[in-house]
Amino acid sequence: MNRHFARELRRQLRESGAVGGVAILLMAVATSWGGALLAARQWLQGQLLAQGREASIVAVLASPAESEPLRQALLAAFPQAAATALPPAAVRKQIASWFPEVATMLAGLPETSFPALLQVVVRTDDEPRLSAWLVARPEVTVAQSSRIWQRQLGEFASRLGWVGSAAAAVLLGGCLVVVLLVIRLLVLSHADEIAIMRLIGAHEAAIRGPYLGCGVTFGLAGGALGAVVLAALVLLVQSLVPTFALDPRLLLSLPPIGAAVGLAGALLGLVSLPREP
Amino acid sequence: MILLEDVVKSYNGRPALRGITTSVEAGEFVFLTGASGAGKSTLLRLLYRAELPDQGRVRVAGSDLVGMSRHQVALFRRRLGVVFQDFKLLRRRTVGENISFVLSLLNVSEREQQRLVYLTLKQMGLQHRLGAYPDELSGGEQQRVAVARALVCQPELILADEPTGNLDPERSHELMELLKQINYQGTTVLVATHDRSLIASHPARTLTLERGRLVRDGWGVAP
Repeated sequence: MNRHFARELRRQLRESGAVGGVAILLMAVATSWGGALLAARQWLQGQLLAQGREASIVAVLASPAESEPLRQALLAAFPQAAATALPPAAVRKQIASWFPEVATMLAGLPETSFPALLQVVVRTDDEPRLSAWLVARPEVTVAQSSRIWQRQLGEFASRLGWVGSAAAAVLLGGCLVVVLLVIRLLVLSHADEIAIMRLIGAHEAAIRGPYLGCGVTFGLAGGALGAVVLAALVLLVQSLVPTFALDPRLLLSLPPIGAAVGLAGALLGLVSLPREP
Repeated sequence: MILLEDVVKSYNGRPALRGITTSVEAGEFVFLTGASGAGKSTLLRLLYRAELPDQGRVRVAGSDLVGMSRHQVALFRRRLGVVFQDFKLLRRRTVGENISFVLSLLNVSEREQQRLVYLTLKQMGLQHRLGAYPDELSGGEQQRVAVARALVCQPELILADEPTGNLDPERSHELMELLKQINYQGTTVLVATHDRSLIASHPARTLTLERGRLVRDGWGVAP
């Protein structure tokens, strides 16, 4: 029966022709797209998680003279925090290091043009309490936490994940429909042959097996192609962002996902198979 | 081997078989005859379970054909050899593949399949057409392939629907002799034919149908 299965499978694949090719390509696009978005989300979240262990807060002070007493008060209230007072001169120096093209202009400005800052590095868990503490202090005019943009980026990553997953699901649904139609067309064109095979004693597994195999092959081939495309994309991104990494499990999961979608499409396509009386 | 009890079958309210009751013992050779539309093919279709009766009981080779699961139907059909009136060959398979397919269902080894296919085709004078496709064969050759496929697995029961319909007299005689020979070896054979001369030249028990009724159960052609 194995030879029969292999021969029939080859025939179904050959007869599915261009439509089968479209199913494979669509599957490749869906799996590589979904994989790329998941990889981007994983990497982004990994990066955020790595940085998320600590948050930094920058407080702008009304007067440079208040920076040291405030630092002492802060360390007394939050002993685990690390606080650094930056006088206006140090602030000017730091801004000049970020923007060297305006360094000369900055050097010409009076020191009083720059605020005194208090830089605090704190555990993420303590960040809301510490931010609230700083904001409540009269000597602090503004307090800005890195958690704000981290949170926004996290929300963006989450949204990216949802949108990506939805788009991949729609594409995979499209693949399922294409495989379903290919199998249905094959079944319809082989209706006479299927009836004959039944009349001479072929069991359902022998009849349905090659069609299911055909759907699985489309999915497997599409998923494998998708994995290759994704691997190429990752290599491309890594040449630009060396820290970008891909979980190999994600890459390996694409062919089985494709195969599962192909199998589901083939099973639905075989619903049209005429039944025995 | 075959037991029919008050079998009724109709299509869209038009009766095809009306109250057929008969039996065929294991090892018998039986003709089923009647004019076109008498119900011969319908009766055969009931015997290989392509149809179910509207009423009555059909037992073949110890199996009650009503209420069988799909799997049981497949297993049952593997015990039969059926020669269809329209041959029912698999168009996308060669002659050899058409015949070996039946053997592959019975899990016969590849080597044994090749041997049996060659021997059966040789018996039918078709060994040189092993690799041909059905569409490349004449009607007579297709019919012989259909017969070869029915015989190759040495079934308990052979049901043949007009097996000589496309053969010349010489080939018809050869085929009937072959069926008789198989019957002598213990296989039950039921041949549906409207050819009275065939029955006359190979006298055997004959069931005659007329408008869906069994009107005669006797030896040879009715006087």
